Amino acid sequence: MESWLVVVSILFPIICSLLFLLLRSPVIRNSIVIAASAVLILTSLGFAYFFGQASIDLHDILGIELNEIVAVLDFALLAYIIYVGIRLHSRIITILALAQLIPLAYFELTYREALQRSGALFHLDGLSIIMVLIISIIGSLIAVFSIGYMKKHEEHLKLEKSRQPVFFFVIFLFLGAMNGLVLADNLLWMFFFWEVTTLCSFLLIAHDKTEESIKNAKRALWINLLGGVGFLAGIILIFGKTGGVLVSGLLEGNNVPSELVLLPVAFLCFAAFTKSAQLPFQSWLLGAMVAPTPVSALLHSSTMVKAGVYLVVRFSPVLAGTHLGFMVALAGAFTFAVTSAIAISQSNAKRVLAYSTIANLGLIIACAGIGSPVAVGAAILLIIFHAVSKGLMFLCVGTIEQEIGSRDIEDMDGIMKKMPFTATVAAIGAISMLLPPFGVLVSKWLAIEAAVRMPVVLILIVIGSAFTLVFWTKWIGKLLAVNYIKKIPREKLHPTVRSTLGILLVIVLAASMGIVFLFNFFVSPQFAGITEERIMGGRGLLEIAGDGVIGSFAYFPIFIVLGALALSIPFILRKVSPEKVRQPYFCGENCEIEGNIGFRAEADTETPSAFRNYYLRWAFSEETLGFWASMISAILIIVLFVVSI
Amino acid sequence: MIQTLIIVILIIIAAPIIGGILSGIDRIITARMQNRVGPPILQPFYDFFKLIGKENIIVNRFQMLYVLGYLVLMITSLVLFVLKQDLLMIIFIMAFGGVSLILGGLSVQSPYSRIGSHREILQMLAYEPVLIFMVVGIYLQTGSFTVQSVFDMNQPLIYSLPLIFIALLYVLTIKLRKSPFDFSTSHHGHQELVKGMLTEFSGPQLALVELAHWYELVLILGFIVLFWATNIYIGIAIALASFVLEMFIDNISARMTWKWMIWVTWSLGIGLCIANIALLY
Repeated sequence: MESWLVVVSILFPIICSLLFLLLRSPVIRNSIVIAASAVLILTSLGFAYFFGQASIDLHDILGIELNEIVAVLDFALLAYIIYVGIRLHSRIITILALAQLIPLAYFELTYREALQRSGALFHLDGLSIIMVLIISIIGSLIAVFSIGYMKKHEEHLKLEKSRQPVFFFVIFLFLGAMNGLVLADNLLWMFFFWEVTTLCSFLLIAHDKTEESIKNAKRALWINLLGGVGFLAGIILIFGKTGGVLVSGLLEGNNVPSELVLLPVAFLCFAAFTKSAQLPFQSWLLGAMVAPTPVSALLHSSTMVKAGVYLVVRFSPVLAGTHLGFMVALAGAFTFAVTSAIAISQSNAKRVLAYSTIANLGLIIACAGIGSPVAVGAAILLIIFHAVSKGLMFLCVGTIEQEIGSRDIEDMDGIMKKMPFTATVAAIGAISMLLPPFGVLVSKWLAIEAAVRMPVVLILIVIGSAFTLVFWTKWIGKLLAVNYIKKIPREKLHPTVRSTLGILLVIVLAASMGIVFLFNFFVSPQFAGITEERIMGGRGLLEIAGDGVIGSFAYFPIFIVLGALALSIPFILRKVSPEKVRQPYFCGENCEIEGNIGFRAEADTETPSAFRNYYLRWAFSEETLGFWASMISAILIIVLFVVSI
Repeated sequence: MIQTLIIVILIIIAAPIIGGILSGIDRIITARMQNRVGPPILQPFYDFFKLIGKENIIVNRFQMLYVLGYLVLMITSLVLFVLKQDLLMIIFIMAFGGVSLILGGLSVQSPYSRIGSHREILQMLAYEPVLIFMVVGIYLQTGSFTVQSVFDMNQPLIYSLPLIFIALLYVLTIKLRKSPFDFSTSHHGHQELVKGMLTEFSGPQLALVELAHWYELVLILGFIVLFWATNIYIGIAIALASFVLEMFIDNISARMTWKWMIWVTWSLGIGLCIANIALLY
């Protein structure tokens, strides 16, 4: 059964994506998108249903060795990237692709037989199933959202010929490749899917074909290719030291001492840092937001950047308790603190989200680097909660942007009046990133406990958390600001847009409420093989598994309190009668200017009321922090390699 | 179960009475320091009942929601504190309460209210790390985040966390919005921001804000009690002494700028915390 699920979750989206290229009718395409999404979601739920640790060997299909197929596809992919590099006149892309192609060719040809013998090709466990669920559910929902979004997007761009076939082709290819990446046990397979996601993100970022989008796509491509080179180096070194390329063989055999593979794992972490846009590689993810918003949602929540953190979490047993692990944790925590600070200075909503993504990935990497069960538990939970909340936030921002024509937070002042549904959903999404009892904060709470034995990491996490409070709160304030209005209007939205926002919101709430279930079902089995002495500060973990209690903290009462508060909203709204409404105080006479509130200033001039948020640019801007942060993080990465030699 | 319920009901009733009386004492002592007679000790309660009986004037429909959020979450965190639950989570829930009030201030289109709210955000930026470091310090001593674990200790926490205690006293001034850190709700005679974040709350809303603040006051003093939890009476005495100290500081200092606040809190406050944590290793 599991092997069928694996095949469907990888091949089915890829077959669908090819269909999109062939069938160009929008109606058929949209129905396939919805149907394919349903199949993908059901498949991923099938994984959860048949959950268990399993290794699946799909050695050959119809007599053709799968390893051979992947090797051939890998060469084709790299050749295509070289072609892209030449066509775009980008020397660095060509060189980096060659730097993968030549060693890979040498490696595959020299050790052909040994590589073919490598056994189980897919491995299922809690982590990979969590990833499949995230990719398939969130990714599919984003694809469905794109139906309505891309329609409006292309109307806005006034394209003569729709480019949606290519768009959906890449999106589904991406989802299939991501599923492959997280399920693959063979590092060479993982590498192939890794490079497919790199190429897909390049194609998606370049989708609008503007000068800026192509420039940013090129940058994304070369930074990720650099990571790819690191990945390949890691694989070759692992093969050289252990004679195998299977992740499970490396982690579970217990016959490989972790000192032996530290250097290759350092290379893999380097690859993960590029893919997860950690400092100093953050620029590609920031540039990626020129793409249509569903692309950003996809890159930031369920795919691409999550591949990087997945890799680090996957190898966290090797990292635990080593100097390399400490450096990885330090680099991640540093990214978390600095990018959270920079987010304060940003008024572009998508940039705020991007920095917040980088920060959260940093936190995940920090936890994975610590490597204790509590820490890894926190990392996996963060992957889940960040994916759902961030996916929702991007879709909300995209919806708002299409309506008001701006992604600036300042322009979202009073958005509640025009788009009450989207604004409320966005505000809840933001709250779920920040406050208790939502999952992101509970994971952060675990992260603090996990980091207690590493004071430097801990300090960075605590300080970074304080920064996140600032930029989220002032944004939520803008979203929810509203004058008195007699009747709250109903907002017009494309049905796919409204339904995906609604479903994602439900998932955000349900995931947070079900955190104990998620933890017990998917996360704690990860630690089954870990011996007692490797548990550092593990008290919280043991307490987590209790009934309905997270740590030593009774969790549900908070939801009940918030639920009661939410139930009071209709009552509060109903009680208001218009004659009790006053204008805000302006220290002078109020007046109304085109429906907005204003006041009479000097010489009776009518002045509209305006208030800009604090951005504290003197302290937190990219200009003041960016350079030094990049320098320090580059040094951290160099040290990371040095300590692992 | 029944016992827990009784404790919960008791604290929900008792906390605002204690908080209100403390505010009354605050006002009398402050008045004496300013050569005034001051109001009767029960004046905060008179004010509260006067406000709650007033007409509910609003600027937008949602203000009451934020005020209720502030109140309910403060009560929740205090109840969890009394039930000796997880301290870190209590601080996070308290932060949610604070954020709720800030969102209320930001939700109206008044520049006074919004500037005040932004200043309150910066105040949170200043004190949150210190509070979290306090909990981390406790964790390093007890191996747990729970309030219970502090009460299970053999010796007072203040012996091992003296520097964190000083930092806590320092952020207490910010948390209570007292001079020199009363930017977000500046009143006390200097009116240039009207009443900051609270400008657009009136009548029953303001009464509930005041009520929530009393719960908050009791909870914060509870944090100080933790530092001498082996004998709770000494703990309470220290908490009350700290409260009186806050009044002195409030009256002898002029308001500083928020940049100064962040600078000093982050260097001195966090510095003290880190030094203390370093001592524990």
